[in-house]
Amino acid sequence: MDYPIWDLAMGGGILIGLVAITHVWVSHFAIGGGLAIAITETLAVRRGDPALRELAKRSSLMLILISTVFGAISGVGIWVTIGLVQPAATSALIHTYVWGWASEWGFFILEIVTALLYYATWEKVRPRTHLLIIWLYFFAAFMSLVIIQGILAFMLTPGRWLETGSFWDGFFNPSYLPGVVLRTGICLLLAGAYMTFAALRERDAAARTRLVRLMAAFQVIGALVAYGGYRWWEAALPVSVKSLFAGEKPILAALSGTRTFLLWSLLAFLVIALFALLAPKAQRWPIAVVGLLAAFAFFGGYERLREGARKPFVIRDHMFSNGVLISEIESLNQRGILAKAGWAAFGTTADPVGRGRAVFRAQCASCHTLDGYLGIRALVEPVDADMLNGILTIMREEGAEYVSGRYTHKGHVATENLDYPHMPPLVGTEEEVEALHSYLMSLKAAQVAAVR
Amino acid sequence: MTENLIPALDPAPLPGPPWLFHLLWLVTFTVHLLFVNTVLGGTLLAALCPAARKGGRETRTFFVEVNSWTISLAVTFGIAPLLFMQVLFGRFFYSATILVAWAWLGLLGLLMVGYYLNYVAKFRLRAGRDAGLPIWLAALCFLGIAAIQVAINLLHMQPGRWSEVAASGWAALADPTFVPRLLHFVLAAVSMSGALLAWVAVRRAGRGGDAESNGAMARYGVRAALIATVLQLADGFWLLLALPEGVLRAFMRGGAATMVPLTLGILAGLGLLVLLAQIHDPLAQPTRVRRVAELLVGTIVLMIVTRHQVRDLYLAAHRTGEQVVVATQWGALALFLVVFVLCVGLTVYAVVRAVKDRPAQGEQAA
Repeated sequence: MDYPIWDLAMGGGILIGLVAITHVWVSHFAIGGGLAIAITETLAVRRGDPALRELAKRSSLMLILISTVFGAISGVGIWVTIGLVQPAATSALIHTYVWGWASEWGFFILEIVTALLYYATWEKVRPRTHLLIIWLYFFAAFMSLVIIQGILAFMLTPGRWLETGSFWDGFFNPSYLPGVVLRTGICLLLAGAYMTFAALRERDAAARTRLVRLMAAFQVIGALVAYGGYRWWEAALPVSVKSLFAGEKPILAALSGTRTFLLWSLLAFLVIALFALLAPKAQRWPIAVVGLLAAFAFFGGYERLREGARKPFVIRDHMFSNGVLISEIESLNQRGILAKAGWAAFGTTADPVGRGRAVFRAQCASCHTLDGYLGIRALVEPVDADMLNGILTIMREEGAEYVSGRYTHKGHVATENLDYPHMPPLVGTEEEVEALHSYLMSLKAAQVAAVR
Repeated sequence: MTENLIPALDPAPLPGPPWLFHLLWLVTFTVHLLFVNTVLGGTLLAALCPAARKGGRETRTFFVEVNSWTISLAVTFGIAPLLFMQVLFGRFFYSATILVAWAWLGLLGLLMVGYYLNYVAKFRLRAGRDAGLPIWLAALCFLGIAAIQVAINLLHMQPGRWSEVAASGWAALADPTFVPRLLHFVLAAVSMSGALLAWVAVRRAGRGGDAESNGAMARYGVRAALIATVLQLADGFWLLLALPEGVLRAFMRGGAATMVPLTLGILAGLGLLVLLAQIHDPLAQPTRVRRVAELLVGTIVLMIVTRHQVRDLYLAAHRTGEQVVVATQWGALALFLVVFVLCVGLTVYAVVRAVKDRPAQGEQAA
């Protein structure tokens, strides 16, 4: 909030989503692919099967080109993007989990070096050493997931950390283990889906059938593990979070639709994987492409759901998506939001409309653009002055609900009982709220026409 | 006005003592920079080296093969200093990056394109063709990244320039130290890569490699390092004198803490120049070539210390009254140390096994 504001027409959340979803598609393959390649080469050595060896070799080039280049750089890309869009939240996460990230970095060194070594040592070292390298790679890659999951899950379900502030309480939070299981399943199913393409390049028909079936087994096991993990993850969420997308009357229809979409995508993926398992001879490229797209749809849908389910927070029950902390609501109501958000007022005028624009930039611009994603102009168009006044008054009063909320490791602020459960409360002085009202009214077409 | 634009200190306590973050930052940044220099300088030297020239193809092959590893390692070792720096100076760093958001984000695009172009060049050379345009484009990508990094680095240290840059992003390039600082970076990269090339060529020749092509590679490396070091000395003084007066004065009054690393760095640079000028036939002077490489690494370490001190001086006025609370997370810190030692140990073990393990006669390879 007190950082410069990056005005992005598409919305910062969309950009984070694009970068993050693209990255996780690749990074989870990098983990599951490591396991699949390790198992494939192990079987190849034990059985003396050249087709399995070739499959592992073909896949290893894809692994380094995707994992060490795209995966590594897009991973940094998530950091870069969240630092640009949510700097206060990024700073809070860094201060809490720097040692967690640093530990993940340790595994990352091992992961990158062994990936490069594995590809470079085909036909150079003995099979035993080559297998050791790929198993070390998988160990490192999986451990990086085990660590990063703690930080990701913390943002949605910080658990006892809210009371203790302890690294470990936040890390081993309620949705940590379900997430590990879910992501492990995703790693397996993505590995099977990607490597099916390498298996289909095998020219010998009998060998191709064997390879396709092996990859189908990865996909089926992965889909079942992912489904179990997903259900466990949902069960671990607090009622306030689940009420956004599940139940009879979900608060956010779009998020509820995402949940339905991802579950159907997983079912479609499972059907295609079972088909490949039972009739591997009939597996073809187009079917494999549909399977991969279904896997992407499931995983992308899950990531969108997980991100969306944090609303109105960026760190549940601690920091709102606009960077305001629950602990500073009262203080900001006293001294004003603009006392803290120096950049929001930068370049604006001192009149009520100008100050209102500054309040908007400080509190609303992290989600709403002017005319693009969640464009505020279109949202205020059907609202008259009295109605807008009522909305802003309620949103400001809701701040008190957060302040009086009680936290335990199971209970959370009961956002589902609020009128605007997916939006942060409005904070600031009465004068600032009035200024915001003036600014929003000035956006209406009639007002704009009158000024002209 | 300026102070009003500096974000407040993060309310969360530092999870470890500041000196530890500074130390980890410096150590990991040094390793990162050694890889970065190889990527930037190596790609420039590969692009500038005519393929038709004796040893030209070998020089290009050497750098694109090495860089298919070092780019990954530069990215990997860039993560840690970025992490530790954000703990200490996040509010300055995030602000600077947001002000030039598209450039900061674009850096990743350039990095990815540069990396894939290096692979294209590598596979072209392996197929018997020339690296051609891809190596030139990769060099441009890496130069672009260097320029963005330098601009952001300068911007995060100078909150007084933020409002100007908020009005126009191009103002980020208007700093009087931008050009000498960028040159300083590029020339150091070229010097180090030249010395690396010469050292590797001398070793290869010593192990029975082709004397003619290795000799040509070594001479090219030494000449590149010599020219870059001569220019570096001039540029170094330009950079020093272009510093804001207050920073320069504080630096000169910093006593042994600031003057010793700087003086040693300048002396090391002069020593390098003398050593390089004395190398007429690198293959016949292997010890001297090795000394050049060692001295260059030493100089870079000293300059990193100086760079760190200059940052502190730039920011000193904006950090007065900063009340940093420390609440060390001992358990998490222990976890990091254990994981780090374990992973580095396993990495070294894997590398050594990969280098030493070879199938016996009649035994099958992987």
